[in-house]
Order: sequence, then structure tokens, then C-alpha cells
Amino acid sequence: MATDLIVDTQIRFWVFLPIVVITFLVGIIRHYVSILLSSQKKVETQQFEDSQIILRARLLRENGKYIPKTAFLTRRHAFNKEEDGYLTQKRPAASQSMMTDPSMMTDMVKDNLTNVLPMVIVGGWINWMFSGFITTKVPFPLTLRFKSMLQRGIELSHLDASWVSSASWYFLNVFGLKSIYSLVLGENNVFNILAADQLEQMHEQMSGAAMAMPQDPKVAFKAEWEALEIIDHHWSLDGIEMKLLGEEEKTLSD
Amino acid sequence: MSAKSKQVTSVAYSESAIRNNLSIVEYCRTSMAALSGCTAGILGLTSLYGALFFVCATITVWLMFLYKAGFSNWNKYFISRKSLLTSGFYGQLFTYILCWTFIYGMVHVY
Repeated sequence: MATDLIVDTQIRFWVFLPIVVITFLVGIIRHYVSILLSSQKKVETQQFEDSQIILRARLLRENGKYIPKTAFLTRRHAFNKEEDGYLTQKRPAASQSMMTDPSMMTDMVKDNLTNVLPMVIVGGWINWMFSGFITTKVPFPLTLRFKSMLQRGIELSHLDASWVSSASWYFLNVFGLKSIYSLVLGENNVFNILAADQLEQMHEQMSGAAMAMPQDPKVAFKAEWEALEIIDHHWSLDGIEMKLLGEEEKTLSD
Repeated sequence: MSAKSKQVTSVAYSESAIRNNLSIVEYCRTSMAALSGCTAGILGLTSLYGALFFVCATITVWLMFLYKAGFSNWNKYFISRKSLLTSGFYGQLFTYILCWTFIYGMVHVY
């Protein structure tokens, strides 16, 4: 296929394949190291209460249509009343900051240890060990703008942009193997959790009960209060008794 | 039965069941992307043919989901038929391209 450039077959076995294997295995090691290092997060009672309140308010918001209007209004009142509703209660300002809490610091260090450090070390090692090889060719044409992305470490201005250098092949692997990991390691691997951190809403829904609230619950409370305040109660089980009886009659007559 | 459920405007879904379904679907689609990428690489498809192959594979898997769930009552298991086709499209595309490039490189470049 590649008629314009002939690449030594040795490169396939000593550069191209090792990069894939190394990236994959390093990812798996990262997963298990992060399991080893992960500490059970200590959740304070106050934080836990807060997250449960938010969760309950959300449940009310989503499923409020299945309870009668009076019940809905009572529950909403309990959350949103003027002085001391759950969502409107006054709190002394949390003085605990992120840097002063030592457990927070160790968590951050561990996070770096399992995420940033391997990237830097392995990336640097691969750059040093396999530098300057043309490893492969992407099977589709690319414009010149991709040259700097795909041909890191090779400065050849006349080379076609679809050839990939070894360093870039490593980065392609790092980003592309994420979904393969979720196949191999199951749903809750470290990469998925990282991705889910960004989609905070997803994360809250997935592990809502166990998740610790952010340091200042006031913002979340305010948002939830607003959402609960503007929601309108639509009773969705209108005439449910008749429907139930109608069904029953039909089955009896059958 | 289906006429009956048309009359009901809102259908109550079990949140955890829907999530479970979607995670299984995600699993299938990732496998699909990896396998079809490998296939495209072995076949030596280039440029547009590869893209077309990916689109075909995606639609095939979508139809298979609908067949598995039943064409008439898929909405018992999924909220939206369209999001079944489109969700996580870019992640799969990336997986596909990686597998495609990898196998194509192994088989055809050297």
C-alpha cells in the first residue's frame, strides 16, 4: 500500500508494537496502583447530611408528580420555608480551607502520583527511547495542520501529513485507549472516574449517596432552592383509580 | 397494549434500570468500535471507505439493539431511540480510528 515510503519491518516489532503494549500495561498498572493508594474518604456528618438533603430535594423535584399536591407542597415547604427550611438554614461560614486540611493534601499528592507522574515519566522515557522513528501511517489523508500534531519529533517538511511519528503514536494511544480500559477493567476504573468528575451531575447521580459535598454547601443549596421554587406541580396520576378499576373489570370479564 | 401506552403521556422509568441498560449499550458500542476498527484495518480500507464502514457498523449495531429490544416496544427499555444512536459518538470514533490505524499499520504499511 505504502508506495511512496518504505519503512523497515524491524520498526514494527521494536517500536510500533512496544509502544501500544507499554501504554496499555502502564494504564492497567495505574488502575491497580490507584486502587492500592486510594483511601476511604472520611466524610463528616455535616457534609453527609448536606449531600443527603440535596439528594432528597432532587428526588422531590423529579418525582413530585406522583404524590398529591398537598403532599408536594408540604415537602417543598419543609425545604424552602423562610427561616429554617432545610435549604435555607443559616450556617456559620466554613473556615476550613483546602490547603490547611492535611488529608486533602495527601489526596492531591496521591492523585498526582497516579495520574500526572506516570504520564510524564513514561512519556519522557518513550520519547527518549523511541525518538525519531516514523512508526505508521494513518489510513486517511490529512491536511498540513495535523503535521505538528502527528509528527512530533520529526522535522521533515516534505513528508506527507498522514505519517505518524513514535512520540505522537504514544499520545494517540494514551487518549485512544481510554474506552478500551473500560472494556477490560470494568466500568469503575480510574479513567472513567476522572471523566465523571468533569460531568459532575452524572457523578452525583451515580454515587450520589456516598459523595461528599463540596466545601461550601451554600451554593448548591441556593441552586436547589431555586429549582424547587420554580417547579410546578403537575399531578400525573389523574384518574388512576378509574384506570385501575377499568383494567380490573376487563380482566374479570375476560 | 401499545395503543394504551400511547394514551398515557408520561411513562415512568426506573432510573437505575435505565442507567444499567445504557451502560450495557455503551459496552456493546465500545466493543463494536474496536472490532470494526480492527476489521477495517485488516481489510485495508482507506480514507472515506473507512469512515463509511464506521457509519455502517454504528447503524448496524443500532438496528441490532432495536431488534433485541423489539422494534415496537423499544421504549420499554430506552427513553430515546435517537440517543441510542448518537450518544458517545466521538469516543467511539476515537476508538475506531485508533484500532483502524493500529491494525492498518501492522498489516499494510510495512
